Amino acid sequence: MPHQCVRCGKLYDNTAQEILKGCSCGARLFFFIRKEKLKEAKEMTVKLTDDQKNELEKDVLDLIGKEERKQDQPVILDFESIRVLKPGKYELDLVHLFKKEPLVFKLADGKYMIDVEATFNAFRKK
Amino acid sequence: MVAFLKGFFQKFMAKLFAKKGSVKLGLYGPPNGGKSTLANRICKDWLGEEFTKVSKIAHETREIKLKENIIIKNSDGKELAFNVVDTPGIATKIDYEDFIKAGMKKTVAKRRAKEATKGVIESIKWLDDMEAVVVVLDSTQDPYSQVNITTIGNLAARKIPVLIAGNKIDLKKSSIKKIKSAFPQYNIIGISAKHGNNIEELYNELFRLVK
Repeated sequence: MPHQCVRCGKLYDNTAQEILKGCSCGARLFFFIRKEKLKEAKEMTVKLTDDQKNELEKDVLDLIGKEERKQDQPVILDFESIRVLKPGKYELDLVHLFKKEPLVFKLADGKYMIDVEATFNAFRKK
Repeated sequence: MVAFLKGFFQKFMAKLFAKKGSVKLGLYGPPNGGKSTLANRICKDWLGEEFTKVSKIAHETREIKLKENIIIKNSDGKELAFNVVDTPGIATKIDYEDFIKAGMKKTVAKRRAKEATKGVIESIKWLDDMEAVVVVLDSTQDPYSQVNITTIGNLAARKIPVLIAGNKIDLKKSSIKKIKSAFPQYNIIGISAKHGNNIEELYNELFRLVK
């Protein structure tokens, strides 16, 4: 079960149709979870209040600078460059950032946000 | 025909006397190393004015700041034009509670944390535009940090000329020796950006760096 929807956090098996067609929530962006991290991902408890979650999401959208854009094709990403532990608490993975890999924000409750524009720019430069 | 020759001559003369482009010099490093203080020192010395705000609280610079066409003279009297880019400090962890401890209100502290995170991304995005970089380190701090090693390693990988400025040599705890043993293959200059100690040496090194 190594794929997780970036929007709703639902986990899918490798062979799941949803990975190709899109998640039941409508999102087409999946996060690849390495086996060793699967347990951690499953155990990730929602300790934040709804207000904190909203604040966190708003902050990341603000950081990205725009609303996350939908894509036609599913995108699977297996790295994260910025972890948002709580509103106002950030952990940055400099190695990923310096590599100019897409900006993947990991939110505390298992949700992810991706800076799509940065992703496209990174690929364009390659 | 006369007009063509006149145009050609004008273009030729313009090219001949065209000013060599300014060198884009980035000031990089962890927060509170003294990047903005050094940017101010450079601007004060060569333009007679301050450039940017400095603070004891980390992440004061959260946006890229650029000062163009600063003409610096070395001790031989040679001149070089620099575009100095002051960048937000690069960090692996940004916690609003640190700003609260420094006396900020919660909402201001959270906003500062968000902007500082954005600043790190911006600093890294700008790296490829730099023609030379001065990594400004606080010489009273342990140089073996992930930020320092990753930043300096990436500059080397991108073949960007690097000069390490060990700042705050006016302080008792300062140790340039430690920086030299951490980064033995680099040119390291001990300075005090605040008081101007050894700053001439830094300017001379900049000329060698961009040669």
